[in-house]
Amino acid sequence: MSTYILRRLIQTVLVIIILSYVCFYIMTLMPGDPVELMIQSNPKITSADVERLRALYGLDQPAYKRYGTWVNTILGGDLGYSRTYRVPVEELMIPRLKNTFILSLLSLLLSLAIALPLGIYSALNPGGRFDSIVNFFAFSGISIPSFWMALMLIIVFAVQLGVLPAGGTETVGLNSENFFNFVKDRGTYLILPILSLSVQQIGSFIRYARSAMMETLRNDYIRTAKAKGLERKVIIWRHAFRNALIPLITILALSFSGLFSGALLTETVFAYQGVGKLVYDSIIANDYNVAMISFIISVSMVLLMNLLADILYGFADPRITFS
Amino acid sequence: MKNLCKASILVILTLMYFVSCTGKKNSSSSVKNTELKIGTSQEFETLNPLIMTMSQTTYMYHMTGRKLVHMDPDTKWYPQLAKEIPTIENGKAKFITVGGKKKIIAEWEILENAKWGDGVPVTCHDFAMARTIALSPNVSIADKESYDMIEKIDIDSKNPKKCSFTYKKARWDFNRHGTFYPVPKHLEDEPFKKFNAQKEGYEKNSTYSKAPTNPGLYNGPYLISEIKLSDHVTFIPNPHFYGEKPKIQKVIIKLIPNTAALEANLRSGTVDMISTLGLSFDQAVEFDKKINAEKLPYLVTFTKGITYEHIDFNLDHPFFKDGRVRRAMIQALDRESLTKSLFEGKQESAIHFVSPKDPWFTRDEKYVIGAKFSKRDAEKLLAEAGWKKGEDGYLYKDNKKFSVNFGTTAGNKIRELVQVYLQDQWKQVGIEVNIKNEPARVFFGETTKKRKFDLAMYAWVSSPENIPRSTFHSTSIPSTKNGYSGQNQPGWNNPKVDKLIEDLEIEFDSKKRTDLAWELQKVYTEEAPVIPLYYRSDVSAVPPNLKNYRPSGHQFHETGKIEEWTLE
Repeated sequence: MSTYILRRLIQTVLVIIILSYVCFYIMTLMPGDPVELMIQSNPKITSADVERLRALYGLDQPAYKRYGTWVNTILGGDLGYSRTYRVPVEELMIPRLKNTFILSLLSLLLSLAIALPLGIYSALNPGGRFDSIVNFFAFSGISIPSFWMALMLIIVFAVQLGVLPAGGTETVGLNSENFFNFVKDRGTYLILPILSLSVQQIGSFIRYARSAMMETLRNDYIRTAKAKGLERKVIIWRHAFRNALIPLITILALSFSGLFSGALLTETVFAYQGVGKLVYDSIIANDYNVAMISFIISVSMVLLMNLLADILYGFADPRITFS
Repeated sequence: MKNLCKASILVILTLMYFVSCTGKKNSSSSVKNTELKIGTSQEFETLNPLIMTMSQTTYMYHMTGRKLVHMDPDTKWYPQLAKEIPTIENGKAKFITVGGKKKIIAEWEILENAKWGDGVPVTCHDFAMARTIALSPNVSIADKESYDMIEKIDIDSKNPKKCSFTYKKARWDFNRHGTFYPVPKHLEDEPFKKFNAQKEGYEKNSTYSKAPTNPGLYNGPYLISEIKLSDHVTFIPNPHFYGEKPKIQKVIIKLIPNTAALEANLRSGTVDMISTLGLSFDQAVEFDKKINAEKLPYLVTFTKGITYEHIDFNLDHPFFKDGRVRRAMIQALDRESLTKSLFEGKQESAIHFVSPKDPWFTRDEKYVIGAKFSKRDAEKLLAEAGWKKGEDGYLYKDNKKFSVNFGTTAGNKIRELVQVYLQDQWKQVGIEVNIKNEPARVFFGETTKKRKFDLAMYAWVSSPENIPRSTFHSTSIPSTKNGYSGQNQPGWNNPKVDKLIEDLEIEFDSKKRTDLAWELQKVYTEEAPVIPLYYRSDVSAVPPNLKNYRPSGHQFHETGKIEEWTLE
């Protein structure tokens, strides 16, 4: 198995290198550059200024040379400098990655905690009243646009009821040394974004869990297990659920790979200090260093989570080997 | 199964606990001068004045930093750090001739009590430091001209608060140093000397980047106590501020990028007011109505601004080479009714490129030609230009239909509404206009920059008594030669206009200068290279107990006098 993992890791690195160049090149093809944005906001900029700034930023160089410079900087342990915010990339990204991770993980855990039991229970009683109600809410959750949901939550809980903050990450100026107070404060700001993100996830996870379980419950080995007189609990958890895990692992691996990518709409509406909006803004403003680091993180997460999923398949289904 | 159910119940109970822990928040603006939380929807960067480019950063910088001079909301220049503004008239500035070239030398004196936030006096060395940094080829300053216009700064050896600036060119606006920001030499000299040899080395290592809450970086009424990029900045009064002590004890600027969420944050009390860099115009109009209907405790301010919305003709387009066609297209538009129906009269229709707020503005019909709406005159001009109506109601000439593309930034609700309005009015005189919008990045980064349009609608940001060199001078027509740097996107190439612009720059007589500016407005309205649409208004939402708040409507934000704001 270690040879398999090593081989996959080498492949992952190669894919990251190739994709990073493709991404860098595509970004250079987009209209406009950072100097362009300066020209728009300052009519006093002269053609000499434009020439000077483009040379200073290396924008007068071909894409492959600029990519080479970027790779050299990264290999030197420097993630670069954000030209939009005028700070080093790590200073800008690390706190946001943490925030996004907390938001995404909590929302994922909440979604799983709600969706899995509901999905499984629905699959065990298909066509029943409970199944119909769960399906109705699952489809509603999937269909509701997340930005609309976010605004509704703000209007109800922040504007009308006034029980939760309308947006932000933490109370401004709160330098609480008490850990409990800190967690309470952050938790207060996380409730609405988590709810907003979870509604859609719960809907889709219910559907996946329900269909995976129903598919498995139709198999011959389940019928055999029932004929053998096994306990219902054993049939559901040992035989059915374990086999239903394979499609669920794929879905979960993909969901986990998005933990650091951010939720652009939710973060924007709730003014949450996450990485989603930062990545969007960096692409729009041609802030190459920030955009490229986010890209590397996203690609790495997808590839690593897929590798993890492949390994987990082996545990879920012993017939799968790594030779 | 039971365990999963228990876990779900636990999560729900935790959520309910957090909800129950929080109470309804009250707007702190009701508490006199304790705290003011200002919401904005625009991003900001670090507050290094030499390299900042974002409007929101400038808005905040004016709270913390003062310059030699500033412009007030009435567009009058007044001294800030300077004791007085040197002019030829008051004898503090004079002409000199060096090597046959006419130059100006001006005596500047900084206020005795002007200090940085750490108590170190502000001196001419700080201005000389800013100039040295700005002129470095390794510093990515956008507007170098503000510093480069000064040839040298000679500092009085006995009194470093006094110095003389020698200006390279004798320009009448030599003393309008609105964007010449001092930086504290005692903090910035070291990182500059150490890192200037590297590309962008200074800005990456300046104290503004490494220790942005250092009080020595700021000389304005407020200091920064906390800064979180893309989230908020907290300001506290500067004990060493030379002027009137600020009344409000804490000001927080909070970024909420989504404007609908920004309004919800205001209504929930998370922020106390929304700055002029927050709401969109249409949203402000709607919010104003909600305030009246729901008796909400806010005021929406509409302040006439300098920025004007317009449509560029591409003068290389064969249809638009004829001036009669351009004038006809302007006269076919009822801009008065447009502003009344779409903006409820809260934005004024434009007659040319100078705003009514600008001292150079004139409505005199001697200088403003053919701006009035007249469908009949428009049709007459088009007929004179050889355009005849076909059976389909559209105009034709040499078997070519008068059909042009009309572009703007996609997704901008106001512009898209205006487009439909104009499309209909042009259709009435037989002109077919096809709407072709693009994302802002493509529209500005490719289409207008490379002049690949027929008609392009956008706004020009300006300032009072601005000489329109970058928008009207023939050398500012974007091309490969100048790296597409100019903003003369219509491609207006008129030697008379070039001469007027050049004369304006060096005319010291105020009366003659105004005459030149009026003459420029006359040529503009006669030749019609651009369709002026309306002057934009700045909008903000404030609590009614906020006093002495006067939005400026121009690039020198109202925060330049924030020390006068008070919550009563």
